[in-house]
Amino acid sequence: MHRFLHMSVLLTGLFAAAIGFAAESPQPVSMTEDSLGPLVEQPIDFPHNRHAGDADKGGMQIDCRYCHTYARRSAVAGIPPLQKCIGCHQSIESVRETPRIKKLFEYWEAKKPVPWKKVHDLPDFVRFNHERHIKRFVEQQNRPVQEACGYCHGNVKEMTVARRSKALSMGWCANCHQKDHPVTAEGGTPVGAQAYWYTFQKPVVAEASSDVLKAKGPNDCWQCHK
Amino acid sequence: MIDSGFDRRDFLKVMGWGGTAVALSGCGNTSIEDGKETVVSYVEAPDYVIPGVGVYYNSTCAQCDAGCSINGKVREGRVLKLEGNPASPINRGKTCGLGQAGVQHHYNPDRVREPLLRNGETITWDKAYALIAEKLKGVKGEEIAFLSGGVSGHLKALLGNYLDSIGCKNHYVYEALAPGVVRAANKKAYGVEMPRYNINKAKVVLSFGADFLGAWVSPVHFSQQYAQFRKGVDGQRGVLIQVESKMTLTGANADRWIPVRPGTEGILALGIINALGTASGEIAAAVKEYDKARVSKETGVPPGHIDKIAALLKLRSPSLVLVGSAAEGYAHGSQNAAAINLLNHVLGNIGKTVQAAASVPFPQLSPAKGNTAALKSLNDGLAAGKFKVVFNYAANPVYTAPGAMKFKDNLAKAGFKVAFAHYLDETALQADLVLPLDSALEDWGTQVPEYLADGAQINIQQPLMEKLHANTRGMGDILLTLIKQRRADSYKNYEDYYSYLRAAMLQNKGALGGVGVDEDAFWNETLTKGIIKMAGATVALSGRAGASGLTVPGAVECDEQYPLQLIPGVNISLRDGRHSNQPWLQESPDPLTTIVWDSWMEIHPKKAAELGIVEGDIVEVTSRTGSVKVQAYLFPGIHPDAISIPIGQGHEALGRYAKGYGVNPFQILDAIYDKETGELAMHETRVKVSKTGQRVIVVKDESAAGAKQIREKIAGRMSTDEVDLSKEV
Repeated sequence: MHRFLHMSVLLTGLFAAAIGFAAESPQPVSMTEDSLGPLVEQPIDFPHNRHAGDADKGGMQIDCRYCHTYARRSAVAGIPPLQKCIGCHQSIESVRETPRIKKLFEYWEAKKPVPWKKVHDLPDFVRFNHERHIKRFVEQQNRPVQEACGYCHGNVKEMTVARRSKALSMGWCANCHQKDHPVTAEGGTPVGAQAYWYTFQKPVVAEASSDVLKAKGPNDCWQCHK
Repeated sequence: MIDSGFDRRDFLKVMGWGGTAVALSGCGNTSIEDGKETVVSYVEAPDYVIPGVGVYYNSTCAQCDAGCSINGKVREGRVLKLEGNPASPINRGKTCGLGQAGVQHHYNPDRVREPLLRNGETITWDKAYALIAEKLKGVKGEEIAFLSGGVSGHLKALLGNYLDSIGCKNHYVYEALAPGVVRAANKKAYGVEMPRYNINKAKVVLSFGADFLGAWVSPVHFSQQYAQFRKGVDGQRGVLIQVESKMTLTGANADRWIPVRPGTEGILALGIINALGTASGEIAAAVKEYDKARVSKETGVPPGHIDKIAALLKLRSPSLVLVGSAAEGYAHGSQNAAAINLLNHVLGNIGKTVQAAASVPFPQLSPAKGNTAALKSLNDGLAAGKFKVVFNYAANPVYTAPGAMKFKDNLAKAGFKVAFAHYLDETALQADLVLPLDSALEDWGTQVPEYLADGAQINIQQPLMEKLHANTRGMGDILLTLIKQRRADSYKNYEDYYSYLRAAMLQNKGALGGVGVDEDAFWNETLTKGIIKMAGATVALSGRAGASGLTVPGAVECDEQYPLQLIPGVNISLRDGRHSNQPWLQESPDPLTTIVWDSWMEIHPKKAAELGIVEGDIVEVTSRTGSVKVQAYLFPGIHPDAISIPIGQGHEALGRYAKGYGVNPFQILDAIYDKETGELAMHETRVKVSKTGQRVIVVKDESAAGAKQIREKIAGRMSTDEVDLSKEV
């Protein structure tokens, strides 16, 4: 009797606490494929459109990977070191006196990093690997870099400060992983990780006319939750 | 102290249901914080730094003085994980649990961060240095004492030079658990303090209390030798026999564990020599008295066992006899050790499994060693009021000195006490000035291990990451600043300890294997490898198989007032207690009792029944020096005439993870010393045990001894007397 009393008291308490927690925490907003994240105020309004935008719109057409250099080499994309900004801007006299660049150099002279706010955040139990996606789409499939990055980050080249434009929820990720993607480069033989992947999942041949092999993305829980 | 009917299973059930409830009601991406969290980039990033990808550096483990080389994973400028460096012949890429916990020494929240005065006031380093200079002014060299743990490498050389510059000749080297008596006995028997033991080449290992798999000398190295030994030489699997009064981890792994009456290890060794019957001349004469009946009576080992051991040793050669801390910890420890070493001579193991040791060709770098004899002479000096200034580095004598020494009271008589410390431990709390040190993962250094596995080597210690706290300093840097107070000219070229170390190494580049190599290239390669290997000079074994004057006193007569022998147990992870503030070590269960975060008293079930003690009884253990209250644990792996309390707990300081857990058996140790070497006889304290009437649930991983799981007995139990050794071999 004694112990059932203990158990029921504890259980009731735990349920109450759990319900209270659920009621207080904000319910997730239902997200569409293109749901926008909040507008984030950054210490410097970095103009992505000016750096990466098309030439006819006044952009410099810089490859995403020039600044976001870690994305192709590591699971995390990292933030470009301040040194990278300065590397170019110390020799671009034309904009040297603009407010944003002046602020940039203030940080540089104080040897302080810019306290950027995180725009694309995932829960701590999700591991997204940038390197694998870039290898897969850019290096093996020869997709344009801006397209590949844009699958998740949206059309950054037309943004100033980046804003989340995809849901980045699990359903949204799975949505893409369930699609049939070409798995060979230009009809060639599968290489590297793709060859490994073949041993798990038989690719389907999409259309008789093309000999492009297609397969779904990884579908195991542990691919992201490890 | 849990006494309700609500047990662990019920608790888990509740947690399970509760967890489900939370999961059902709280779904959602609630941990996403778009636009709230700050992401900080590097201002300038070195080319090799990629966020999310580890960089690896070689260094040396500083958790004990075995000198294992480590390889640290560093990510985003933070050291995350330590593993062994495969290139080191000592640990061959492995580390022990103690080594793994090294990161918790570095990240410990209780590290001292600023120079402190006695009243807790923080001062600047300039003021601290000026204070030392002021206190040393007019003080004669003999009025200064420097106490340190084992030091080696360039730090030892620099320390020697500093002591020289202040005229101090009183450098006391004190390691609480160093094998002081064994070193002296080895020196006599083999001509070297620490020969090279080839466990892997032996077919039988007879170990008298040497816990070489757990905490003795170089456990990671010996564990690997042990693995080879078990695979066998010439297809014969090695047999391990462990003789000791309290079971150690090695004892638990032995084919035969022989509980011996405490202190009679030497008699058993002589009895085995007698039973072998191969000795002649002086030795045969010395062991003539030790016939089976007498030895069996005094040691408590059945005559049949002595015969079987002798037969096995005769049958299988080479064998190896080890003398460890359990045999040396008596007033006649030296005699015990001599008798046991004699066994190696008689069995012809010298040159086969006991081999000459290599030595590093720079004697000024070889390790400074010492045990309690050094502390005793410091303590005597302090008691006489001889010392005006006392320095303390890498030792915690207020905690580890035997209670009967009254070290804390005597230390108070010194005028000015300086502690170089990582944490505010018991000794640092008594200091007038505490100088905070860099952690072992932030500091530069070199280390020469006492036990060299293969040839000679110098280990490199280098920072794995930037300093966590701005106002800590490396010990070398502090010494360099202090020595500049006296000899500014000789050291003016060295801006810091790093430049001193680099210059000192490059000066001997040729001898260190860098003949004809560019200086920078040599230095970079040395740092990359983390070890400098040298052929080294071999010190030939020169000991004599003499038995003259070798007598081993019999077992102590029963002491009515204090009937039990206290064995301070050396725990595989806590050792002498300096790492008790690393929670990984606190929470990793003791391998034999599985108890965590606490102390206990091991007592034989028969003795416990006699005294009416059951598991969890709080008992008072009283010696002539003092008493402690501790929970009882019934343990068949201990001689009925002894009890054991593990060392390492019972801190009154050392931070949140150490303070207030368990009891400190050092406190109740009597001041009894080995007659020849003057080292502390750690196992010689006699105690009585009385119940206090309180009882607790012992917090441990295992179920109660001999317990049933789901009403099925999981393993049969057999008393050691019923086991037939010949069938096991």
